[in-house]
Amino acid sequence: MHRLLLGTSIALATLMGASACAEDAPPVAWSDPFCQSVMPRVSAWLDSASAAAPAPTDDRYGGTLVAAGIEDLSRGGGMNAFLANDYVARQHQQYVTLMTLVRYGNDLEPEPWLAESWEINEEGTEVTFHLRDDVVWHDGQPTTAHDVAFTYERITDPAIGYVNAQFFEPWIAGEEGVQVVDDYTVRMRLTPHSEYLDPWTAVAIMPRHLLGEVEVEDLITHPFGSLCPVGNGPFVFREHLTDQQWTFVANPAFPGSLGGRPFIDRYVYRKIPEQATIFTELLTGGIDFYIQPRPEQVSRMEESAETVVKTFPSRTYAFLALNTRLPQFADARVRRALALGWNRSEFVEANLLEHGRVANGPVPPTHWAYDPGAADDLDYDPEEAARLLDEAGWVDRDGDGIRENADGVPLSFSVAYNAGNVIRQNAAEFMQGQLRGLGVDARAEAADYGELIGRVMTAGEDRDFESLILAWTVEFRLDDTPLFHSREFAGEAGFAGLRDAEVDRLLDAINTAESREEARPLWSAYQERIAEVLPYQFLYYPNRIMGLSSTVHGVEADLRGEWVNFKDWWIDPAAR
Amino acid sequence: MFVVVHLAPGDPVDIMAGPALTADAAAQMRANFGLDRPLAVQYGRWLAAFATGDFGYSHTHQAPVRTVLASLLPNTLSLGAAALLGSFVLGILIGVVQALKHRTAVDGALSVVMLFFYSMPSFWLALMLTLTFGLMARNVWGWPIWFPASGMYSVDYQSLGSAARVVERLRYLTLPTLTLTLVLTAGIARFMRGSMLEVIGEDYVRTARAKGLSERRVIWGHAFRNALLPIATLSGLYVPLLLSGTVFVESVFGWPGMGRAMVEAVHARDYPLVMAGSFVFAVMVVAGNLLADVLYAAIDPRVRYD
Repeated sequence: MHRLLLGTSIALATLMGASACAEDAPPVAWSDPFCQSVMPRVSAWLDSASAAAPAPTDDRYGGTLVAAGIEDLSRGGGMNAFLANDYVARQHQQYVTLMTLVRYGNDLEPEPWLAESWEINEEGTEVTFHLRDDVVWHDGQPTTAHDVAFTYERITDPAIGYVNAQFFEPWIAGEEGVQVVDDYTVRMRLTPHSEYLDPWTAVAIMPRHLLGEVEVEDLITHPFGSLCPVGNGPFVFREHLTDQQWTFVANPAFPGSLGGRPFIDRYVYRKIPEQATIFTELLTGGIDFYIQPRPEQVSRMEESAETVVKTFPSRTYAFLALNTRLPQFADARVRRALALGWNRSEFVEANLLEHGRVANGPVPPTHWAYDPGAADDLDYDPEEAARLLDEAGWVDRDGDGIRENADGVPLSFSVAYNAGNVIRQNAAEFMQGQLRGLGVDARAEAADYGELIGRVMTAGEDRDFESLILAWTVEFRLDDTPLFHSREFAGEAGFAGLRDAEVDRLLDAINTAESREEARPLWSAYQERIAEVLPYQFLYYPNRIMGLSSTVHGVEADLRGEWVNFKDWWIDPAAR
Repeated sequence: MFVVVHLAPGDPVDIMAGPALTADAAAQMRANFGLDRPLAVQYGRWLAAFATGDFGYSHTHQAPVRTVLASLLPNTLSLGAAALLGSFVLGILIGVVQALKHRTAVDGALSVVMLFFYSMPSFWLALMLTLTFGLMARNVWGWPIWFPASGMYSVDYQSLGSAARVVERLRYLTLPTLTLTLVLTAGIARFMRGSMLEVIGEDYVRTARAKGLSERRVIWGHAFRNALLPIATLSGLYVPLLLSGTVFVESVFGWPGMGRAMVEAVHARDYPLVMAGSFVFAVMVVAGNLLADVLYAAIDPRVRYD
């Protein structure tokens, strides 16, 4: 018996000792040949840059900030701008470790970032960017016009398979579209577009000296983004432990005219898949920043003296996509009746608890093109909904309480949502209850997210779904062509299956409008038309919510995102 | 296996799709990921690569599968080994106590307690333990020792000395191990209790008593060792069970392990990771059986492998 206990303790101690010592070895990721050549250079540069940097004078400098979210950043493409399919990962590319040419200021007007200035020719077909000459990659190489041209050529090359391909629709693809004028001047060509700077606020510039030799087809599967990214932004990537954490340190050589070195010494992003656990970590001081808490956790954080909550409108809208290929949804009057037939405001109030508002269209209220008058007639109105259904020929013909059309097809469909998403589940069940009173049989149905997406998005003329709750997070560049243009009917994102000549015309016209003044009426007409044909039932615009430790100061998050002024955050000296 | 994971609806490109993805770009992404070829061709390529030790590329981790496995497997193994040790030691002890105190209040009380933890969802148990020994212990009761809710170590781990590292590791390991242990112990204790009771009734135990040996020698020298035999077999069976059982614990405690990564890989249609992970699990099952055989030989002098 004693031997058993002794053996156990020895085994456990060995285990711990071995794992503790193993930590001194270089990270597993560095076994990759690309990383082996790159990371030592980053370390060497960081050492010399730190030595050369003047000692911080302000007491705001210093400390470690720990953030936690439910996904690993690599899930959204990591720091690979060629594969940025997730909001949080993109935020880190834009504001933490990489740089965009231009960024939006507080007033949402473009302001200089990597590009010091820019001009566009009179025809609106040529943009010239003048770059700063004091930004260096974190291995010491300067960031130049060649990097910008490289990024441009690759991201507009159809062979890359860029997930946000629609961003670059107006730009001339490939080498023809871009010209290096000198080391710090680059010229690009496009068909005139009112929001031509938008993609350059979203897409970070990538290093040509590291990725220039990589085949274009291999760029979206390159280890750069997740194992050993080399950026040029305010934070230097140090380490990524799979499914565990990312570590960044302050860039001591970040240009002084852009604010200089960040206040925080070290930034750790942790993945914790369970939100209740993240919440506990925030309350016990294990982390400083809880990314996107659930609405019901907010009041507890507001009560505590150790935590503060910040919220701001997001660029997300949640919707119920209807498969308009089906007879139940083919008639726009039915789709409108479904929108009027249940009380969305009541649902939003009860479930988002002031952290969101009812959505009536695909343009968020925070976007300049939003027209508050375009879809103001979608409030709860069951009588009108019943009238529309009658008018469209859907009446209860066999007395079972469910309406049928003339062919005997019942107005019956499933409302699918991804299992585990409580707000969406509540939405589906709330709809089910209220629509039942109208003689509509909507059945809430949980499914695995991958399966749902697979059924809905698989490209092709037909889709295997009836209706489904999803949400889109858009960049500032708004272009619904992949969603609603009949050209994209068979494409991944065209699952609603809308074919409407007016929508097509408006989307095309918006894309060729040369100024906001020209585009604005088109956007209004578009929002009105979408509110008539309703390929989606718009549900709500959720707020972004931040749970922060009260020792964190200087946070100014807004529509641009949580990390927009991340380099100016600082930690109470007493709490470091 | 390959066919099953590929037949599930959806593929990695669908999962990554956003509102700015055009049909052409999606088709190109699929081609770049090698997903555009017929399933048989994909399988052939996968098999050929697999045979040379190339497990492929994980879309969700944006890294070669080999790198992902190398990072995650040690984490799962350390948690699994700790839980296996903990539950077997505790289970065996409780089982023996129950057998010796057969049909007494102690026996009954232990059974009830074991059953209580056994029937509790491990997810909920994990949250309750975090709440009690993490949040309440630190914030409400102000205990000098409390346990962190997640992770394998704090973010300042790298700056600690090796002794402090071991302490920190143990501190972070405590709650996940305790959760798994409490859930697993019941079965083992039950097994041990039965086995011990059976052995105590055997002739050789009566003989040992008749020889006038002390009760301690009878129980620990004769009965215990024989009663351990079936438990050794059980330990082999528990190795794979532990891997599946860690999924929830790894999620709740933010433990970067294989179980959780596998489930997420299935949801995200990360085929190469699912395939490689299944392979690793298969190896574990074999290793578990091997472990059982080796333990058997160590305990039972009659078993000899020549």
